[in-house]
Amino acid sequence: MKISKLACTCLVLAILLFISLGQVVVTTPVEAQKQQVTLTAIVAEPKERWDTLFSDALQKLRQKHPDMDIQVDYRVLPYDATRTQILTAMVGRSPIDLISVDQIWLGEFAEGGFLTDLTERANTWGRENDWYQTNWDGGKYNGKVYGIWAWTDIRAMWYWKDLLNQAGVDPNSLKTWNGYIAGAKSLNDALNGQGIQGMHLVGADHSPDMWYPYLWMLGGEILEQKNGHPTNGTYWFPAYNSTQGVKALEFIKQEIDAGIKPQTNHFWGQEFADKKFAVMLEGSWLLGTFPREQWSNLTQSVGMLPMFSVPNENNKTATMMGGWILSIPETSTNKDLSWELLTIMLQPEVLSTMLQKEGYLPTQKPIGEGPYATQLNTTIPYYKEMIAMIPIGHSRPNIPEYPQIADNIKQAIDEVYFGIKEPKQALDDAALKSAKVLGW
Amino acid sequence: MSSTFVKAEPYFFLAPALAILFVFLIFPLFWNTYISLHDVSLVTILNQWEYIGGTNFLDLFSDPNFYMSLKITLMFVGGSVALQFGIGLLISVLLQQQVRASGVLRAIFIIPWTISAVIAAFSFKFIFDDNFGILNYVLIQLGLQSSGWLSDPNIVIWSLVIANMWYGTPFTILFLTAGLLSINPTIYEAAVIDGATKIRSFIHITLPLLRPFIVINLILITMWSVNFFDIQLIMTGGGPLFSSTTASLYMYRQAFEFGLLSKGAAAGIVLITINLSVAFVYLRFLRR
Repeated sequence: MKISKLACTCLVLAILLFISLGQVVVTTPVEAQKQQVTLTAIVAEPKERWDTLFSDALQKLRQKHPDMDIQVDYRVLPYDATRTQILTAMVGRSPIDLISVDQIWLGEFAEGGFLTDLTERANTWGRENDWYQTNWDGGKYNGKVYGIWAWTDIRAMWYWKDLLNQAGVDPNSLKTWNGYIAGAKSLNDALNGQGIQGMHLVGADHSPDMWYPYLWMLGGEILEQKNGHPTNGTYWFPAYNSTQGVKALEFIKQEIDAGIKPQTNHFWGQEFADKKFAVMLEGSWLLGTFPREQWSNLTQSVGMLPMFSVPNENNKTATMMGGWILSIPETSTNKDLSWELLTIMLQPEVLSTMLQKEGYLPTQKPIGEGPYATQLNTTIPYYKEMIAMIPIGHSRPNIPEYPQIADNIKQAIDEVYFGIKEPKQALDDAALKSAKVLGW
Repeated sequence: MSSTFVKAEPYFFLAPALAILFVFLIFPLFWNTYISLHDVSLVTILNQWEYIGGTNFLDLFSDPNFYMSLKITLMFVGGSVALQFGIGLLISVLLQQQVRASGVLRAIFIIPWTISAVIAAFSFKFIFDDNFGILNYVLIQLGLQSSGWLSDPNIVIWSLVIANMWYGTPFTILFLTAGLLSINPTIYEAAVIDGATKIRSFIHITLPLLRPFIVINLILITMWSVNFFDIQLIMTGGGPLFSSTTASLYMYRQAFEFGLLSKGAAAGIVLITINLSVAFVYLRFLRR
């Protein structure tokens, strides 16, 4: 009796095993022949933009390769974690097929041998002329293409119209340095009692980013090429402590003297959306801090000056451009397919859908000025004005030493914020450190 | 069984533990030292590493920011250890008294330790925020002056000490409670009979008997405070003006923000030396 029970149990288990194995074996001939490919990616937050982009691009990629079962496994991480994870993966030689690279990381990653040289692929692709020159050059290091700048952002001056009205400040007066300082004082006098500060001033880690436009508008540069480098012959040398740099930092000092407080915590525009500040210099992503349903009426309450204040009306303004570059790591085992996916993601019909949803700015002329521009213009507040800023946008150096140089500049800015040093002394001391970092 | 085998037998049983110790402690220490003696950065990591001897240490000791970080570490560790130990000892002694719901209170006091350090750091970042923080809001409501808790270079380190104190005190409470429970209560009864007051009992009975636990607790909380950088990284990033950059955060920034892995490794060696020195001091002077 016991033996027959055991035999029955074994028989049932054998049948179940046979059925489950049969499920695996009994597949359609086409599915059995499909090559399984999973492309892996590490990208930076926020997630929604990648969901849109990968989903639309993957659909097109699959249509092009019906013989393949292509999946994309992408990890979305916070900014700092993205860089750390990419570096860890590269150093550990983990195969990753696509990464989002901040423009300031490009030189470091390329110099370290982490990125695939895309120059030949980009030449064959033939879309270089579709890109705004600064954005195309931003994906190059030492003359080679290591990434394609996918979308960008600019920094502009945002203000609450009702608060400026209340303080009796004409927005146009903020266009000059003197007007900006006078406006700060009037706004503080009128609004401090309500717990609102007049002007926002960045005191967080990225404070150099908000100082560079003043340097650039005066004709200065962060770094310049110089002969006589001990090992490299000609190499970068700090240029930010020039007379233009000193003048730019003196304006920052004037802001402090006018009662504008540097903010050490940064909430990326949320503090403006929450009406804690009447005026804020912030990136175009600020629009994302407002609910989408408010976008159609936003221009009635929120104004935007497409500029940083200039010393006088004869000066041309400047701004800083950021955004993300798409690159293929050297460890990728599917370089051709990854490149194909990348180019599909950058097709105007694919990318513009995401840009429209998220409010980012294009790096390519077909989207910025072409047929897609109309669509974006009707959806994104101040789109035309932000696009118009791209030609006056500058990008930061993408050399490997840039993080340390930015740290030196931040220290100089902080020393002026806290009244420890005068602008010239602070910049000269910082430039000395930067020169050492650059190997001089 | 041969005598050789019998003598060697304990080492066979120790082998797995020794292997783990070697792989996760000894080897990384030697590897870190190796890195600190070579030129290793994110740019050179995949290439041949050049031996440069003590150059990284020279760079370290010629960097004024490093000395600043050591000074800040002293303030951070000193303040954290004093507060964690003092408050922890007080709470554990009070809970040892015949207090109602002492078990519940102990559980409540342990809560900070169950929270991730990252979450604790973010929470305090928002509490201390100059403009939006609850602390300044309460001060203003009470008619007092608000303060730049995270923006004033003279104050910021103490804001971090408070956050670290909140986070680390539960361990001291737990550890010293275990020590207090090991003390025979009849000793206190005898002391009461002899006319000792509570304070005299505490000074002459509790503290001496608790000494081994105190020494170990101080060693651990000091080492943890020296190595801890989550709170500094998240609350302030080391600013303003490096006034909250401790040596551990300096090491992290060198290695992972600037990509100077060997300089970070050199800073790590210095930190290990500091930790070992502190442990030696505690053991030598407090165990007498």
